[in-house]
Amino acid sequence: MADLSVKISNTIFKNPIFVASGTFGYGTENPELVDVSKLGAIVTKSITLNPREGNPPPRIVETHSGMINSIGLANIGVEKYISDMLPVYENMDTPIIMNIAGSSMREYIDVMKKVEDVSSNIVGYEINISCPNVKEGGMEFGVDCDMTEKLTSELRKLTDRLLIMKLSPNVTDISAIAISSENGGADAVSAINTVVGMSINHSSQFSNIYTTFGGLSGPAIKPVGLACVHKVYHRVNIPIIGIGGIVNSDDVIEYFLAGSCSVQVGTANFRNPGITEIILHDLNNYLNEKHIDSISSLIGRVKTHG
Amino acid sequence: MNIENVTISSNKEIAMNLWRMSMNAPKIAAAYMGPGQFINILPNNNWEHPIRRPMSIASVNGNNVEIIYKIFGDITDQLSRKNSGDTINILGPLGNVFTEWDNKDVEPILIGGGVGLAPILNVYESCRNPFMIIGAKTASEHFMKHDPKNNIYLTTDDGSLGIAGNVMKAMDEIVLHENSIIYACGPEPMLHVLQKHAANKNIRIQLSVESYMGCGVGLCQGCVIERQNGHVQEHSYHEKYSLVCLDGPVYKNSEVTFG
Repeated sequence: MADLSVKISNTIFKNPIFVASGTFGYGTENPELVDVSKLGAIVTKSITLNPREGNPPPRIVETHSGMINSIGLANIGVEKYISDMLPVYENMDTPIIMNIAGSSMREYIDVMKKVEDVSSNIVGYEINISCPNVKEGGMEFGVDCDMTEKLTSELRKLTDRLLIMKLSPNVTDISAIAISSENGGADAVSAINTVVGMSINHSSQFSNIYTTFGGLSGPAIKPVGLACVHKVYHRVNIPIIGIGGIVNSDDVIEYFLAGSCSVQVGTANFRNPGITEIILHDLNNYLNEKHIDSISSLIGRVKTHG
Repeated sequence: MNIENVTISSNKEIAMNLWRMSMNAPKIAAAYMGPGQFINILPNNNWEHPIRRPMSIASVNGNNVEIIYKIFGDITDQLSRKNSGDTINILGPLGNVFTEWDNKDVEPILIGGGVGLAPILNVYESCRNPFMIIGAKTASEHFMKHDPKNNIYLTTDDGSLGIAGNVMKAMDEIVLHENSIIYACGPEPMLHVLQKHAANKNIRIQLSVESYMGCGVGLCQGCVIERQNGHVQEHSYHEKYSLVCLDGPVYKNSEVTFG
């Protein structure tokens, strides 16, 4: 049996297959279709200080090998998250990484403080500084090195749990933002969030998304995700969690070769909420067939020309 | 809720661009709760089209689950090329059901427009002699007989079959009673007009809503519709918008609002 365990800071995950924020609810849904205890970790949908209804429809549209969404961070808000979701996690074997979004430094801090003030078994936080769909999505942080470093260091003061900054591909130099995250004290970065996209119905001449622009995800963005991970890999020493268009075990291997130490499966959950179990099974077979003892041995080992 | 690789038992064009597909789907048939529910279909394993397509269940008999679909894009075109013996992957049954149609004190009036006739036919086959109105653009899109004696009314926009005009024209032929309930599925403008009509006549209505869905199981939060009496305060969740996949697709009376 190949060793699938991965280490981020001092936390060991039994395998590198996580589910991405916004594609698996709060982690408490869908017991019928997936055995969540098999997952490496669940990253929750973004939680904000106040509840949010999200954007008006249409919120999603399929595109070639992908989809565009503009949900608008619909969520129950941190108070209800604490009262309704945290107790459920006590009975789950799966590590929970809570995703936080905010519109100001104060909001991120307030949300994290409220969760840190109560007892829970969540293993860490992923900080959404890259939602392209709402003003409050933290994007102003995710495109600015100084603000990223400041936010990271402020949040670092509040928690000993894992602190992961989720990076946007919609920037000039993603590795600069990754370096700022590292300097601010992040344990890891995750990359990438969705790519800004647009879809138009030529017949009605309407945009297919209410907010005009949305976030492109799915296999269409895998090359962008791989490139971002590989760029960041050469510039920081903290682990990278790879995200973007992962639908099978081959994709996982490619993300490891590019420099990821674990991955998140996103849009593919919409097609089959149990797809991570299939990916995990195939990944195990792949490593055994190739006589690879540990998946971590593949991190960053892509062979380049010249 | 199950994900099942199912074998197609038949797939036939029943009117212009309108197809009926039967599948042997024992798990989904066993979990089926009634007319109104839908399945989410994946016609093949490639990722060119990453997301499933929701389709109303037109009937369930034994292990056999049937859908009726209209060709309007690549996915439905691919579906129409499937032969009996081929397999497809489906997720379901999903969503809620029409209610009270099986109450003998209720007079069901069934209205289907366009491809929205699948759940309507499903109720029809379980009811005793209800009124049914099916609307289409032209005669070639119909596969039933205009048969007012047996309470079946067909309408065509171009007047080539049955009553000329939309389904509202056929409504003029039907006397509504206090115990009438309208059951409707079809394009949003049709549902909107019927909703207002039912409110004006003070009779009950149940609407099966079509929506673009990313998952069908509540994960993506994509398929929302606005609640008519929803709170619109700044900080609320699930009060302004309803998820069609989990809360619907069937909504009663003025629960939801259209555009």
